Amino acid sequence: MSEVAVTVNGSRHVLKVDDDTPLVWVIRDALALTGTKFGCGVGVCGACTVLENGKAIRSCQVPAHEAAGRSFVTIEGLSRDVTHPCQRAWLAEEVAQCGFCQPGMIMTACGLLHDHPDPTDEMIDTVMSDSVCRCGTYPRMRKAIRRAAEEMRAKKT
Amino acid sequence: MITSRRTFLKTTALSGASLLIGIDGNRLLRGADTRAAGPFKPNVWIRIDPDGSVTLTIGRSEMGQGVRTSLTMLLAEELEADWTRIKLVQASPGPGFEDIGTGGSDSIRDGWKSLRQAGATAREMLAMAAAARWKVDRTTCTAASGFIIHTPSGRRFSYGDLVADAARLPLPEHPPLKNANDYKIIGQRTARIDGRDIVSGKARYGIDVKVPGMLHASLERPPFAGAKPKRMQEEKARAVHGVRAIVKISKGIAVVADTTWAAIKGRTALAVEWDDPPPDAFNSAAHAKRLEAASRERGFVTRKEEPPPGTAPVAETIDATYHYPFYAHAPVETMNCVADVRENRCTIWAPTQAPNRMQKQVAQLLGTAPANVQVNVTLIGGGFGRRLAVDDALEAAEISRAAKAPIQLLWSRPDDMKHGHFQAASVHYLSAGFDAQGAPVAWKHTKAGSFHNISPLEPEEKRDTAWYQDWSWGVYDVPYAIPAIETAYVPVDLPVRHGPWRAVFAPSSVFAREAFLDEVAHHRGADPLAFRLDLLKGTDTVKAGAVTIDRRRLRSVLEVVRDKSGWGAPTAERHGRGVACNAYFGHTYIAYVADVAVDHDGDVRVERVVAAVDCGRVINPVGVEQQMEGGIIWGISSALKGEITFRDGAAQQGTYADFEVARMRDVPAIEVHVVNGDAPEPFGMGEPPVPPIVPAITNAVFAATGKRVRQLPIRPVLLLS
Repeated sequence: MSEVAVTVNGSRHVLKVDDDTPLVWVIRDALALTGTKFGCGVGVCGACTVLENGKAIRSCQVPAHEAAGRSFVTIEGLSRDVTHPCQRAWLAEEVAQCGFCQPGMIMTACGLLHDHPDPTDEMIDTVMSDSVCRCGTYPRMRKAIRRAAEEMRAKKT
Repeated sequence: MITSRRTFLKTTALSGASLLIGIDGNRLLRGADTRAAGPFKPNVWIRIDPDGSVTLTIGRSEMGQGVRTSLTMLLAEELEADWTRIKLVQASPGPGFEDIGTGGSDSIRDGWKSLRQAGATAREMLAMAAAARWKVDRTTCTAASGFIIHTPSGRRFSYGDLVADAARLPLPEHPPLKNANDYKIIGQRTARIDGRDIVSGKARYGIDVKVPGMLHASLERPPFAGAKPKRMQEEKARAVHGVRAIVKISKGIAVVADTTWAAIKGRTALAVEWDDPPPDAFNSAAHAKRLEAASRERGFVTRKEEPPPGTAPVAETIDATYHYPFYAHAPVETMNCVADVRENRCTIWAPTQAPNRMQKQVAQLLGTAPANVQVNVTLIGGGFGRRLAVDDALEAAEISRAAKAPIQLLWSRPDDMKHGHFQAASVHYLSAGFDAQGAPVAWKHTKAGSFHNISPLEPEEKRDTAWYQDWSWGVYDVPYAIPAIETAYVPVDLPVRHGPWRAVFAPSSVFAREAFLDEVAHHRGADPLAFRLDLLKGTDTVKAGAVTIDRRRLRSVLEVVRDKSGWGAPTAERHGRGVACNAYFGHTYIAYVADVAVDHDGDVRVERVVAAVDCGRVINPVGVEQQMEGGIIWGISSALKGEITFRDGAAQQGTYADFEVARMRDVPAIEVHVVNGDAPEPFGMGEPPVPPIVPAITNAVFAATGKRVRQLPIRPVLLLS
């Protein structure tokens, strides 16, 4: 048990947690931000994905002592009013079915678009194939990512 | 499965001011006297408050099928309510909700009649109330966007202004329903009601429930039925920071802790060692042999069509055996439940498809009355039939009772994968007889499979033909016009847990039927799609048990995929095109053409699926497309990805790495064509897309390689060039 200072969605929190607590449980249990989901605990499903400096990371793979001093964005912090291009594209393409994996999918897509603002279809498939959706929303996610990429590029020009 | 349901409405004045209507899906009451109607078991309540807001309380669980949106659409259409002022409330089992639950793709079919009728009833009562106040004829009043308008004068009352008066009126006997031409909402692409919550992380699933004082539990379950712990490290587990208690329950040993992580760590530290499995512990390879032997027995005959006089005798017979494996549901939200047991009362929060079953079984476990068990249904992060079983709640209640605290029980991914209520393995033996001219004249399909064990079975004496038919969907209801048909079911004991899995008994049966039909077509030297159309000629409807199949609807979806897929055009080397179709209970008709490529290592890639669906009247086109895409991808998982195998009584797979499911890279181009979307009534879409996709794929693999897939998932080693 030790004090860990971690910034989530711009707010700094000093938390008493066990050193080895995976970040997903720090976020879900200690900070009660339940948009970040638990799906497997071993980094193969992507449900717990959050952003750090724009890059997607699996929060179940980061123990608290390694998270200390770092700053993360969860789905709740992506936008104040559901206006992030990925969120808008997800709604426009009517992606979600049960919706459970979708926060992780959106964060993974954000990470992809941060690294590759104009991803090829192959790149989208490669990166997104590290995450699991059991409802089968993949075709719509592909379209949503292309749509979000376009919107983000249009904003920059 | 097939019940003709009628609708029974009841109004109640709430606090003297609101209009409240309950709908009983099983009964019809004519006239205003609802008290004399006997038992009233509604499954939907509608309330209109003086502020004009409409509350729709539904017993259906949302698990991705979009039911919260589509049921609201049905109500809003007839009520003429302002869409944005309808609030949805999830029902809990209780006196107002004695028959709720979600399965069998029947939410829309039930809601179509009951919700439209309820909407029309309320609208009519509001209009009558307005007409009375204005002292005008009812026919001069119309309803629109939450107002009753007196058309000649333009005067208007909001619904809220009228509810107190309306609640005192008798129920109109036959409130008029709209003509389909006047629909403003039904049939429109409609965004999901909970879409914004989902993409912003606000949607609350079972796993997200937090109640004051809640502790967290992780449960170590016996690896095989009857296993006993040999030793465990209780001291070490207790020493883990945050661990509160080690609790032994009938289902295993639970570690209860302050946080989820402490419970997980405590369970790891507990390091339970279980005794060795007996030599006869369940093994899926041995079970497949038993099933195969059973498939050769006569079994219980579920359909027998004698060939009409003059039918040519069988001159040649072909036969084949099809194996279907075990599969897990593997929803991304693992099983979980929050339970708070206090003396003889219990409150549950669970992502469940079966709230009434949960209430009853938890009450039984605790030795209390069902009324003392409150079940709160959350959003479900993937159901697929797994959450018709209520094992998570029974475990959580037992742990909470022992720990004397509200607890959240969270299953790990391996817990979820190894302790599922799996799709059961089955073996299908099929044979076809040809006459001297090579025409098919006889069809035989025997399924050896297992009854579910999520709930008690009917006693032996109640097991009639209809009962056995209910275990063999897709076998007895073969839609094809073959003169002699005999189908049978052979039950085989299955000691491991199993239960409904998306489309339940149909996927295995339809795989075997549609793949073997492909064999029959090839044996005859016929084009498999034209061959199907030929076998669907003759009488337009065919009855099998309680199912009536309309062959015209099946023909039309086949014709659409034929025309849209370029069926018959040549394919490249090691590429192939396959077709399959199914009539799901005579309700929803689907045909697929799948294009596959098989590389030299035998790896199969589905490149394109052209689909045609006739689910009757389309309520929300978005939902239909989503379910088609999801069903196709579900089928790709079962054709090409993971299976569950058992050794020493235990499932061998525990993660998405060893029970693989389709990922984005596995997804083909998908084209969905909706046929007959303006039909008089709608049918379900959750399950029907699943059964015919796997045989479309395996038939395409045959076209590409000349190798017949009779066992799933497809093994690349059998398809090497």
